[in-house]
Amino acid sequence: MSNFTKEQAISLRAQLLRASVQCSERCLYQSAKWIAELASSLKDPADFNSPDDPDSDIAMPDGYPPDNIPIFSTSEDDEESRLEALEIGDFLLAKSFFDCREYDRCAAVFLPLNHSPINPSSVSPEPESQTPTKAAKGKGKARAQSPEAIPRPRTTSLPRMSQKSLFLALYAKYMAGEKRKDEDSEMIMGPMDTGATINKELIEIARRLQDWFQERTLQGKEAQNHGWLEYLYGVVLAKSNSNEDAKEYLIKSVHRNPFIWSAWIELRDLLTNVEAFRTIIPKLPQHLFAILFNVDANQSLYQTSPETHSTLTDLLKVFPTSQYLLTQRALLHYHSKDFEESESIFSSLIHTSPHRLDSLDHYSNVLYVMAARPKLAFLAQLATATDKFRPETCCIVGNYYSLKSEHEKAIMYFRRALTLDRTFLSAWTLMGHEYVEMKNTHAAIESYRRAVDINRKDYRAWYGLGQTYEVLEMHHYALFYFQRAAALRPYDKQMWQALAACYESIDRPLQAIKAYKRALIANIAYIEPSSSFGSASASVTTSSASNPTTNVFLDPELLYPIALLHEKQSEFETAASYMELVLAQEEGPASIHPDELPLGTMKTNEGGKRWRGTRNRCDGDDE
Amino acid sequence: MSRHLTPSKIGLLALIRLYSDGVVPSSATIPVLSFLISYLLPVRSKTSQEDDSVSRDGFTVSIQKLQSATISHASVIPGRTIWDLLLKQLWSINSLDALHAFFDELPLLLEKPFDANADPPDSRPKRMLFPRNSPLGAFVRRSQLEFTRLQFHDGSNLWKSLIIYRAPTLAVWKRRNPAAGPSSYDSNLQAASFDPTGTLSNLVYGNLPLNSSKDGILKHGNTSTDDMEKLLDYQVSRMQRPGNRVPQAMQSQLRAMAKSGLIIPSVASYVHFLDAWKSGDYPSSFDSLHRYFDYTMQSRDRSLYQYALLNLAILQADFGCFSEAVTAMQETVATARENHDMPCLNYSLSWLYQFGRTHPEEMVEIQKKGVLGSEKEALSFLKAKAKESNMWTLLSTTLLSEAKLLLSNGDNVTQAFESIVKASHLNVTKNITEGYGGLMLMQSSIFDRLGVGCQAWSYCELFLQCYAGQSPSEDVIQIQCKSAYMLARKGRWEEAISRMDEVDHEALRTLRYQQFWITNLGILKLHRHLHRDELDAGDHVLAQLQAAPTGVPELQYSISIAEIQLHMRRGDYTHALGLLEQLLTDLNQQEADIFQRLKAMVLKARIYDEAGVPQKGFSVALRAASLAHKARLLPVLWEAVGAIGRVLISMKEFGATVRLIENVLPQALECEDCDLAAYLFSCLADGHMGMAGQANGGSLQRKEKLTKALEALDRAFEEFSRIEDIRGQCEMMAKKATIMHRNGDSVLANDCAAKYLDIKAAAKVQE
Repeated sequence: MSNFTKEQAISLRAQLLRASVQCSERCLYQSAKWIAELASSLKDPADFNSPDDPDSDIAMPDGYPPDNIPIFSTSEDDEESRLEALEIGDFLLAKSFFDCREYDRCAAVFLPLNHSPINPSSVSPEPESQTPTKAAKGKGKARAQSPEAIPRPRTTSLPRMSQKSLFLALYAKYMAGEKRKDEDSEMIMGPMDTGATINKELIEIARRLQDWFQERTLQGKEAQNHGWLEYLYGVVLAKSNSNEDAKEYLIKSVHRNPFIWSAWIELRDLLTNVEAFRTIIPKLPQHLFAILFNVDANQSLYQTSPETHSTLTDLLKVFPTSQYLLTQRALLHYHSKDFEESESIFSSLIHTSPHRLDSLDHYSNVLYVMAARPKLAFLAQLATATDKFRPETCCIVGNYYSLKSEHEKAIMYFRRALTLDRTFLSAWTLMGHEYVEMKNTHAAIESYRRAVDINRKDYRAWYGLGQTYEVLEMHHYALFYFQRAAALRPYDKQMWQALAACYESIDRPLQAIKAYKRALIANIAYIEPSSSFGSASASVTTSSASNPTTNVFLDPELLYPIALLHEKQSEFETAASYMELVLAQEEGPASIHPDELPLGTMKTNEGGKRWRGTRNRCDGDDE
Repeated sequence: MSRHLTPSKIGLLALIRLYSDGVVPSSATIPVLSFLISYLLPVRSKTSQEDDSVSRDGFTVSIQKLQSATISHASVIPGRTIWDLLLKQLWSINSLDALHAFFDELPLLLEKPFDANADPPDSRPKRMLFPRNSPLGAFVRRSQLEFTRLQFHDGSNLWKSLIIYRAPTLAVWKRRNPAAGPSSYDSNLQAASFDPTGTLSNLVYGNLPLNSSKDGILKHGNTSTDDMEKLLDYQVSRMQRPGNRVPQAMQSQLRAMAKSGLIIPSVASYVHFLDAWKSGDYPSSFDSLHRYFDYTMQSRDRSLYQYALLNLAILQADFGCFSEAVTAMQETVATARENHDMPCLNYSLSWLYQFGRTHPEEMVEIQKKGVLGSEKEALSFLKAKAKESNMWTLLSTTLLSEAKLLLSNGDNVTQAFESIVKASHLNVTKNITEGYGGLMLMQSSIFDRLGVGCQAWSYCELFLQCYAGQSPSEDVIQIQCKSAYMLARKGRWEEAISRMDEVDHEALRTLRYQQFWITNLGILKLHRHLHRDELDAGDHVLAQLQAAPTGVPELQYSISIAEIQLHMRRGDYTHALGLLEQLLTDLNQQEADIFQRLKAMVLKARIYDEAGVPQKGFSVALRAASLAHKARLLPVLWEAVGAIGRVLISMKEFGATVRLIENVLPQALECEDCDLAAYLFSCLADGHMGMAGQANGGSLQRKEKLTKALEALDRAFEEFSRIEDIRGQCEMMAKKATIMHRNGDSVLANDCAAKYLDIKAAAKVQE
């Protein structure tokens, strides 16, 4: 990426802007926003000034005025653009309905009611009805004229229209269904809100899309699909829980048009673990957005490897001011428990763009962990000043109240966040935490469950579920959830520790020892990646009382229970050696300042010493 | 805006904390505590004398007030005043989180609720703890509770207004803490070390008016709904008890508050209603009343329906829609009965009774239905009810009504006195301060009727000196008008006019009071014009008076009498007599006050007299005299006697006249009515003159009678000149000159004639 040139920058910028226009035409607002943001964070063409073109700083930058960036995009194949031109009036009408959130009315512009069959089983009657074939290809590719470009009347269930209009109509239908679904669910965690309500439009949308794809395949025009409908089908499939098919269609979609960021996001959300991610990597197109996706997916899968960081660094060279990318970096630091670094990135982010609320709920999590109450209050103030009714804002405020131990208020705000957006993941998880604090285990389990249902990658929710079941003394249940959490965060000592404790309590000491050992390894492994870049950040890590200079340092908190377990197994030798280790940790590295030791460590050391005392006595007796 | 919390309350809380920390030395304890308490205790618990101080100080403590209250007291820390410590407290709240922490720590100021396992007392912290139910403790608890209730953004709004609130003290704070800067209001901004004009702080804090004017502070949440409610309740009590309107300055304040987007309690509509009502704006008062009840309906349900009707009835009566008022009041009575609301029922019955007194023509319906029965029955019913439900105010007013009824029917005066004394006793024992106006008015008028002018006058003065401050404005104005009238009767015009001017002009913003006052003033002026013989000006004033009907029967009566007198002065006796006949019929029909009826009868006799047929008025004068005697209406009696005297003179019964008049004169003079005295003296003079005429020419007797006549004429002249009655003066002078002439003393006669001409000329010039 270092050889990124000015020309590339200009063309990329143009492409991004066009993509943004396309997204906003299709009412994919978030994507449009994201892409536009990215485009604006692109290195300014003026920065590419090299000595060989000295006049470029006074001349109009190339690509301005952006004649190739239409305010209203048109398709590049004739058939589509002709159709689009024909239905421009209807399209604008439909789009304005959509903008006013009148989804049904929007859908009805292109799909009048009499076209929607009462019986969903009456599948498309005439799949072989013809449309003129086109040889045009997807975006950014050369076009070829088809010999028979004359349209013929069709009699299928789908009225003839451009892909753009069809997408908008079906998407509006989808949105209408989502809206009704939300309405049917009524109150958050009320009797109707079981998470089982479904979007009733899905079946019909799926049927129509199936027909359409079938038709295109029959006509051999698959190559001319623009990718948007594939994306929509992918979403629909994902909603109806056929994840593999959904992934397939989403990958198809990004192949047709890599700029559909929404498709990448959907794809990311469908990845439940690293393996799934690895399997789809080869299927992805080679594109800038694939790299972005790579970072995003790694982040969301908690893969805080140096590779991800370096990719991110490369990307930041192209998009130096991209707040999205900076947020990704902050999140990566957060996942690797490097809160200071994460905090400083977020802090600079809110200074540069105080109106941006996206991902600030994660910032509040960071501040929560750091127990920085004044800052958290300030952040809440900031978010409230921008928009009181954003789920992010509500989460921040909820976190603040949670930190103040005002759990009822915190729950009120989390509920508000969920009322605003039922799929707002962190609110579900955080609400679960609050319910745990309030000893309302049933509600806690429910909210964690909802979080997990929305996103199966949320280790905190899994962990929370496990903890809650532990509180209820249902250790077998808890075990399952801890296992899930540990699978998601294999390098997180906390997960393994919890798992071990769980094994211990259901009397499976061998597994418990194993789990403790994993925790030990995780602890070591954890220090290494983070210290590999920016050792300064790792040295201030407070989460573990470790010092980067002593990589061999083993957490006595983990060693001590291992020793005890061994003792229970009557393996005194091993137990003794572990106990020795515990004591060695205390006496050994002089670099640890006693103040830095958490209280727990002190206790275990005390325990270790005491144990040694008794042991010695026993040994003495033996002798 | 918050319901309760404001920055000024936080200031008070900070001061309370200081007090609890024990840094307030014992010398400053009392001033600090009394400062705190003056803001914490509810307004209503204060006695009425202190009411004014409340309105002066307002309900919120400005930072300047905190400063002036604390800066003069040294704290126990050497070199620091309490103000310094208070500033430190306030500025140590350096972020929103610190504000939360401040409130979280508040329970530490309170004693723990009783707990069997509580620590022994020696382990308690050193600070002074407040019992949970003490005024300070209750305030602390309430504030903490209110803060907990706040939503997050309300909390941050409170925080912002606190920043504005304490901003004026930045300079002082800087003196002690050089590190303080313009952005030191939030530690987060300082920590980030960026300029306070940056976008971030701009977004969070907007443009804080850190050096704002008073107006800006008002807008920035310095008042809470709680304060607002207190303020409005205070307004309502001011308007209901003395019956004033909202002062104009206050009105603009209220409007500003309403504009600043505060949640205005619905009682604001009530204030608006009262204000509109008092200002005579019928449509908007009607509208506001309905609005108020619409908004309060949800919270208090139908239980207050009768009060809505009551207000409506009174409102309609005030605007002259009598029949609507009566039906509304009937409905009130029915609803109150249904809801067993005795106070309301009694009050409405009493109102209905009073209404019936003034508007008997509207009461036909009521009489038929027998809601109240006859007047006496109604009164005894009301008395019984009032006693039953311990409504002492009502009982007191009912007793006064009873006295009034007795007097106006010309019944036993002793009974009336009994009722008055009873009412007075009630007022004293039950501390009914607002009852004094009616009582004193009654006492004054009963003495007036008994012809003891000085007593009547002193009651008026007594009231104005002692009770004017705490009585309804209506009573004050009535008594002021009455005393002005009494002054005018004594011929002290200038004093009377200045007494009228003494009326509180704030009270006159109420339409009804203003009308009453203006009519009284007009009548006074009309009388003066009549006396001075300025008939055209009199016409003018009369036209104005008649144009604006007052609805008060007494005033209407006075105007009619004045009109008749005007016609008499003009010499248009036919017209005057016609009007008088009309008036008499009306009075009889309305069963009006006997005093008025008798006065009119005597006037009739005087018309006949002036028209030259005094004997025609004999029977009416005699009847008036006998009735007045029976009802102990002495001023009327004396006047009637005068009229009889004139009749006797016309029948050449001079001796009888003189005897009659000489017998009544001493008592008539006690009435302090110059007109009456002059009338009687001139009668006396005529009587003596007649007797002189009957005596032999040149005899001693004649001479004696002539001297006596001259003496009487002089006295009459004196009385006439006091009330500036030109015509009377001239007549007396002419008579005197004639007598002088008869006596052959032409020089003196000429003198008198010259004086006569002088008076005439002076009157012309004045005209």
